This record gives sequence, structure tokens and C-alpha cells, in this order.
Amino acid sequence: MNPARVKEIVRKEFHQSFREPRLRAMMIVPPILQFLVFGFVVNLDVERSRLAWLDQDNTPASRELRAAFEGSTYFEVTHTPATQKALEDLLDRDAIHSGIVVPPQFGEDLARGRATSIQILVEGSNSNTASIIANYVRDVVRTFSAGQLNEWVRQKRAGRPGVIRLNAPGIDLQQRVWYNPELRSRNYFIPGVAVNIITLVTLMLTAMAIVREKEIGTMEQLMVTPIRPSELMLGKTLPFALVGLLDFSLIVALGMIVFRIPFQGSGLLLLLGAILFLFSTLGVGMFISTVSHTQQQAIMATFFFFQPAFMLSGFAFPIRNMPEIVQWITYLNPLRYFITICRGVLLKGSGLNVLWPEYLALAVFGIAIMSFSASRFRKRLD
Amino acid sequence: MQRETAVRIEHLTKRFGAFTAASDVTLDVAQGEIFGFLGPNGAGKSTTIRILCGLLAPTSGRAVVSGFDVAKEPEKVKASIGYMSQKFSLYDDLTVEENLEFFAGVYGVPADRRAARMQYALDMAELADERTRLTRLLAGGWKQRLALGCAILHEPPVIFLDEPTSGVDPVARRAFWDLINDLSHQGKTVFVTTHYMEEAEYCNRIALMYKGKVIALGTPAALREQLRSDELPEPTMEDVFVRYIEQEDAKA
Amino acid sequence: MNPRRTLAIFRKELLHIVRDPLSLGMALALPMLLLILFGYALSLDVDRIPLLIWDQDKTPQSRALLDRFRGSRLFAVQGDIDSYRPAELGLDRGDVLAVLVVPIDFGHKLAAGQQTPVQMLLDGSDSNTASIALGYARAMVAGYSSEVRTEYQVRNGAGELKPPVDPQLRVMFNNELKSKNYIVPGLIAVILMMIGAMLTSLSIAREWENGTMEELLSTPVRPAELALGKLGAYFVLGFVDMVTAVLAGVFVFGVPLRGSLPLLFVSGFTFLFGALSWGLLLSAITRNQLLAFQMGLISSFLPSFLLSGFIYSIDNMPLLPQVISYVVPARYFVALLKGIFLKATGLQILWMELLFLATYAVIVFALLTRKLREKIA
Repeated sequence: MNPARVKEIVRKEFHQSFREPRLRAMMIVPPILQFLVFGFVVNLDVERSRLAWLDQDNTPASRELRAAFEGSTYFEVTHTPATQKALEDLLDRDAIHSGIVVPPQFGEDLARGRATSIQILVEGSNSNTASIIANYVRDVVRTFSAGQLNEWVRQKRAGRPGVIRLNAPGIDLQQRVWYNPELRSRNYFIPGVAVNIITLVTLMLTAMAIVREKEIGTMEQLMVTPIRPSELMLGKTLPFALVGLLDFSLIVALGMIVFRIPFQGSGLLLLLGAILFLFSTLGVGMFISTVSHTQQQAIMATFFFFQPAFMLSGFAFPIRNMPEIVQWITYLNPLRYFITICRGVLLKGSGLNVLWPEYLALAVFGIAIMSFSASRFRKRLD
Repeated sequence: MQRETAVRIEHLTKRFGAFTAASDVTLDVAQGEIFGFLGPNGAGKSTTIRILCGLLAPTSGRAVVSGFDVAKEPEKVKASIGYMSQKFSLYDDLTVEENLEFFAGVYGVPADRRAARMQYALDMAELADERTRLTRLLAGGWKQRLALGCAILHEPPVIFLDEPTSGVDPVARRAFWDLINDLSHQGKTVFVTTHYMEEAEYCNRIALMYKGKVIALGTPAALREQLRSDELPEPTMEDVFVRYIEQEDAKA
Repeated sequence: MNPRRTLAIFRKELLHIVRDPLSLGMALALPMLLLILFGYALSLDVDRIPLLIWDQDKTPQSRALLDRFRGSRLFAVQGDIDSYRPAELGLDRGDVLAVLVVPIDFGHKLAAGQQTPVQMLLDGSDSNTASIALGYARAMVAGYSSEVRTEYQVRNGAGELKPPVDPQLRVMFNNELKSKNYIVPGLIAVILMMIGAMLTSLSIAREWENGTMEELLSTPVRPAELALGKLGAYFVLGFVDMVTAVLAGVFVFGVPLRGSLPLLFVSGFTFLFGALSWGLLLSAITRNQLLAFQMGLISSFLPSFLLSGFIYSIDNMPLLPQVISYVVPARYFVALLKGIFLKATGLQILWMELLFLATYAVIVFALLTRKLREKIA
């Protein structure tokens, strides 16, 4: 390895990539725009979901129940249809997320201590939102119901003292949510989005930089110089590793400023993870460049690699939910490890004592992919 | 010939699958010689040159360039040759100077020689006034000379030029051949392919290549002499070329 | 409009596609890959949540509560612990998502008729799973709680006490609450947009780069014929993809198709026509394959993935992306797809969406022919 020759390649790449302001901007602006769009859009939280209220009872009790829903931040009563048909029509039109029907006997049943029921219709096509809404509805009703029961017991005791005790047993679930106490889905998604964006950027830049030299013929010229494949590879990837690290730092900073993502752990540790991870993406980029002859092929190959790697990285779809075979496959996906590292360091403040298997995996993958690609790259045309 | 052999090719064959691009090529090139490789497109000239540069591995046979076997020591070969490919292949988004600096760097020209070599290349290519221009803005002939300049920065004893003058106007072509002559006078071996027949006359010796085979080898004068007859008292290089190809086709 | 010339363009374009393995792969393999991923591998459904249990109490009451968790499909108990350390480690490592802690005097307090807490520690970093897990846990604890309370009241001679309000939940349209039921139909929009804009974006640009465009322009072929001929070829591909996606969705992944099949295909074709025209328009404007491809990616694939309501609900977005989503045709197509697949809704409800898609297609096609005419003049 001759550092002077590596330096020449690096210098040339910088000359080529950063000469024009337009090219410089291309390295920074699109990743950041993508990050912002993703960051704003990728959100599974349910708040102020639209609720239709069909009150067939219209008593103080039914109004109290409605007030309980309106008091929750999860619901907003946006429609008050007059009939069941109208309510279902609203669901058909996607105008509401859920609807509640309070039956005519509701207030009277409650007053007499009889069990009653309300009907809840949930727009289930988005199963995830539906599950969360259903949980919230049950919570509100449960609290309301417990209040009614206590009220009723108290009144009954007033009439027949000694029979019913107020201090009935009950269990109360106390939740302690770690790492993301407000349960904001952005905290979960943003680290994954950041990882995916630097993957795409570094993959594409490396693959294209090498294939472009093939297309214009300068690769052949380089091959007849005494430069070694390892020097050429290092020289071609180093600039993009730097661009990748710069983009990643910018994105993490934006995540903290714009999306208020916590940063609990060590910055150095995150940087180390990013460096190890870049070995893999740059290695894959190089590999793509060795199998592609044109830039178009390189783009398509990048896309073919990136799509499944992105989907199977656990960025939005938890790996735990996947079929077991697919879960095994994800162990071959470097994105998986880096996302775990990012979430661990950013949200949990985890250190090497917890994350060492991920770091180890990234190091092993990075070196393996890098050496495989470098070994495929020969200074030969056949 | 008493001079040292710069390039020795023995029974060199290259196949791509079922297609034989070069078949049993044998020839020697002496140091300081301008050796021309002539033949129609697809005759195997570029393939042979690429093997000599260590870009392709020979299927069988042997080639020695500057004393190094191209199949066994391709990297040593690369340090002692300059190569200019068929296609213009400099970075046209770098300036003239940046291209020279880059190639000086990757060829490992020692730091104390670098400035002198770059100046030499700039002077040779007459690009001293254009050193900060982007290469893409240069005219074809200048680009060609810059490419040659980049290829000889490290003072290689052997220079391979694959159709260096294709697509260049006649005046620029003439000037380019003057450069080749200068290099030869400095003792460099120049191995050049072309399909311009008149350029064959500038070479010390030529080989005619057709369908992967060398079908004629000798000085331009000797080849013409062989063809001289009553009906063709002043045969041109083109006549030589056509005649040999006809003979070859008749054999097949 | 001359049908023979249009047909000639159509045939030539089809040959290009068939002879280029990359395009064909892009057009057929990538959609299949996405279908398999979303239909089989990717799901947002939450069940078998890995849980650790710390029973400090070890009484019949605590065991009765914990048995509910052990027996549930929603939780997968990974083990019992007897200190805080493994809980912390398990959550840190991400091996478990929740830890349920039953305090030492749990059984005693219940027997005495007192309120008692149980504690749940949750890894909130996956907020979605955590919210749903919390909901499940609350419901299970509340169920046991009311059982204990009733039993206690009965034992004390007060008769059965039931919670007075019983919420009867009816999940409409997707009552198994499977995420693939809404993701797979939406995926059809993503796939068609991908073919549409990314594959066709290369088509005219390639002709410009190869110089064949000038030759085409020197023939009597008209802009509309050129556009239609090219559209036709990619339409065939899009049609194959759409049929494959619908068949795979319904028969392989068991997504219900409740609405009208003709309406599904009519809206699919309308959308496809617009998407293909958009790709060709990009191609005609840029004349550069790389640029056209990148613009195709940014202007069609990403919006149809992110701003269409395919996975991420548009209601949740900040104002700007919401406003932008109104001009993303995939938004309307996704609404149509979900309506037709899951809700069996018809044109009386979805006519607006279809009208938008048709308008979009006509406008983009008109722009395309105009752009091509410009080049000819």
C-alpha cells in the first residue's frame, strides 16, 4: 500500500466531486430533504383521531360519557350522525376513524344498576391504528365504568348500610415506559430513517463513481498504471466515506433539533458504529460496480439491493414480527445491526457492554464484504 | 538487429469463448523501434496490445515486455510502460494540470522529478498556456497530446498507443507523429496500432493483422517491394494490405 | 391518429423491453419481491410480545394473574426472574419488550379488599409495539381485577357486581386486524407507480441519447402516436403486474377482495395511464436517462410510498406534507384500492377519487404530447 497513490486518487475524487457548487449540493441537499420528508411523514402515533358520536339516549349519563371521550387527547368528536346508517356511511368514506353508538336505554340502565353496553365501530382497514384506537376506547370506557360502579355502590350503601363495602379490591397497572416515555413513534423511526438514507447515499455514490470511470474509459487507463487494486479501492471509497459521515452527522443533528430525538449515549460510540457500518455499504457499492458496466445498471442493481435491505432492516416493520426464516435472513443485513446501534445509543444510552455483538457483527461484515469486493476487482479486463 | 528486444511475443493466443481474437502471434520489437500494428477493425490489434499491457491474460503463449512476463508480473510491466487507449480516457472534468498531477501521482513519479516531467509534458503537448483549463474544453488534437503526455510522465521505456490518431484532423495527426518520432529518437519503443495506411510509412516496421493472425511482418519498404510487379510498379501500403488479405481469404 | 404507426411504435417498444433483462427484471421481479416482502415477511401486527415475569409475591392470586399472561397469544413469557438486574439487561439488550412485576403483598392486599398495583416496565423505543402491548396488558389486568372484585363482593354477600358499561367493539372492514390486509392493496399503487415512472422515464431519454429519436422524428409519426405506442407497451407490463398483484394478494396472502373487480381494474388502468405518461414526460423533458430515473424516483416512487396513505396515515402528517399529498395521484388510488378491497365501496362514494385520477392522466398526457410536438417543431 502506497499512501501517496491513495492520496492522488482521493484528491482527484475531491476535485471531480466538489468542483461545482451544484455537485457539492448534490451530496448534501437530497439526503437532508429525504430525511425531513421521511421524518415528518413516518409516524404511527394516534392522536386526535376522528370520532363520530351517535347518541340515541341523550341523558346526563350519555353526555358524561361523551365528555370523557372529549377530555382525552386521543379523540375528537367530529361528527354526530343521526342514524346508524349515517355512521356507517362515514366509516365507508374514511371520514372518521371510529364511531360510538349509545343505545336508548343507556342512562336508565345505569341508574338502575343494570349492565348496559355501548357499540364501538372501528375503521379497521389500517389494523395498526385500529388496534391502538380500540385500546384507547376501552380505556376510556373502563375508567367511566369504574366511576359509575363506585357511584352506584355508594348510593346503594347509603340505602342498605353494611352490605357493600366501598373498599373493594382492585388491581391497578402502573406503567413505567423506558427510553421513550411519551411513546413517540418518531423516536423509533428517525434512527432507522437516518441509517437508510446514508446507506443509499454511500451505496449510490461509490457504485456510480467506479462505473462512471468504466464508462468513460479512464478505468482502463488506471489499470495500466502501477497502482494496486487496494490503493484504488481505498482512494475511491475514502471520499464517499467522508461524505457519508458528514451526511450522517448532519442528519443526526437535524433529528435532534427538528424532531427532538434524544441523544442519551456516547457520540464517539455512534461515530464508531457509523464508520464500521460504512465498510459494509461502501463494500457493497464496490461490489455493484464490479458487476455493472453502465451507470444505469449500477442504479438498478443498487435499487435491487437496497429495497429488500431497507424493508428487512427493522426500521418500521419489527424484525420480531417476521416469519422465522426471514428473521434468520435479517442477520445477514448490516442495516439491522446499525439500526440497533443507533436506537441503543440515541434512545437507550446503551454502551459497548450491551451493544458489542452488533459492533462485532458490523466489523466482521464490513471486512468480509470489503475484501470480497476488493478481491473481485482486478486490474484486468477479462 | 543488434539493439535490445523491448517486446517479445511468442505464440500468443487469446480466446473469448469460441471466438479467437489473437491466434499464435509471434514477433519481436527492438528498443527504440516504432512498430506499427495494422489491420481492419476487429483484427485483434487492441486485444494484443491489451495483453501486452497486462490488461488481459493470454490464453496461451508468452509475452515479455521490458524483460517482464506480462502474465506473471503484470504489475512490473505496468511500471515500465505508457499506454494510451483507443478511447480518449482522461478526466474531462479535471483541468490539464490536475490530470497531469494525478497521473504523475499514480505512476509514482518521484517528487523531485515531478515538476520537470510535468513541464516536459506540457511543453511537448504545447499546452503550457492551457494548464488551468478544463480538459473537456480542449480540441481533439490537444486532448490526444495531453493523453500522450500523461502516459509518458514516468519515462517508460515502452509506449503502447492504441489508435492514437483516430478522429483527429490530418494536421494534428502529422504533429502527433512528430511526437512519436521524437520519443523514438530518445530511445523509447513505440508500439502503435492504426488503420490509416499512410501512417504505416512512419513506422520502422509493421505487422499486418487480420482475423487474429499476423499475416505479414517487415519494414514498409520490404513489404511493398515483395509486391512490386509489372502491372503494379509502385505498390502503395494499401495495395499491400489488400493483397495480403486476399491471400489470407483464399487460404481459408 | 394512424393505428398502423402507433402499432409499429408499440411493437418496437415491446421488443426493447423483452430484450433488456434489466428492464424486464425491474418490471416483473421487483414487484414480486415487494409483494412477497409485504405479503409474507413484513407486518405491523403485534403479538407474542417477549415478556419477563417477576413474581415477588408467589401467592395463588399472583399466579392467577400471571397465568393469564402465560396463556395469552399476545405475550410470550421468556422467563421468570427474581431481581431487577436481568430485567434491566433484557430491556437494554432488546431481548424482551416488557417486564411485569407483581409486588410482594399483592395477594395479601387483594384478600383484604385493598387496591394494589402491579408494575409493567416497557421498552418504549418501539413506541407502536409498546402502546399496543400496554393496551393488551391493561385489558388483561382489568379483566382479572373485575373478577377478583366480583368474587369478593359475592363472598361478602353483596351479589354479583359487573362493570356497568360493556364496550362492544366491532372492527369494521379488517376484523382480523391484519396489517397485510391494508398494505397489500396499497402496494398495487406503489408497484404501478414504480413501473410507470421509473421504467418509462428511461424510454424516451434513451432514444435521445442513442440518437434514434431524431430518426423517429423524421418519420411521419405524430406525437400522440409516439406517446400512445410507447404507453401501450408499458401498459402491457403494468397490466401483468396488476393482475399478478391482485391474484397473489387474494389467493396467496388471503387479502379479502370485497368490492367490484371491474371498478378495481378501471381505476388501476386510469392510474397506470397517468403514471406512465408522467414517466414519459420526465423522459422527454430531461433527455437524459440518469436524470430522468432520479427524477422518477423522487417525484413518483417516494411520494407514492410516503404521501399516499399506503402505510403512514395522512392525517398524522404536518400541514405541508398533507397539502402536497393532495396532488399525489397515488393518494387517490390508494383510497380507491382500500375502499374496493376492504370496504366494498363503489363509485357512489369513490367517484371523486376516480375523477381525479382521470383528470390527472388526461392533463399529463396532454403535456406529454405537447412536449413531444415542441421537439418536432
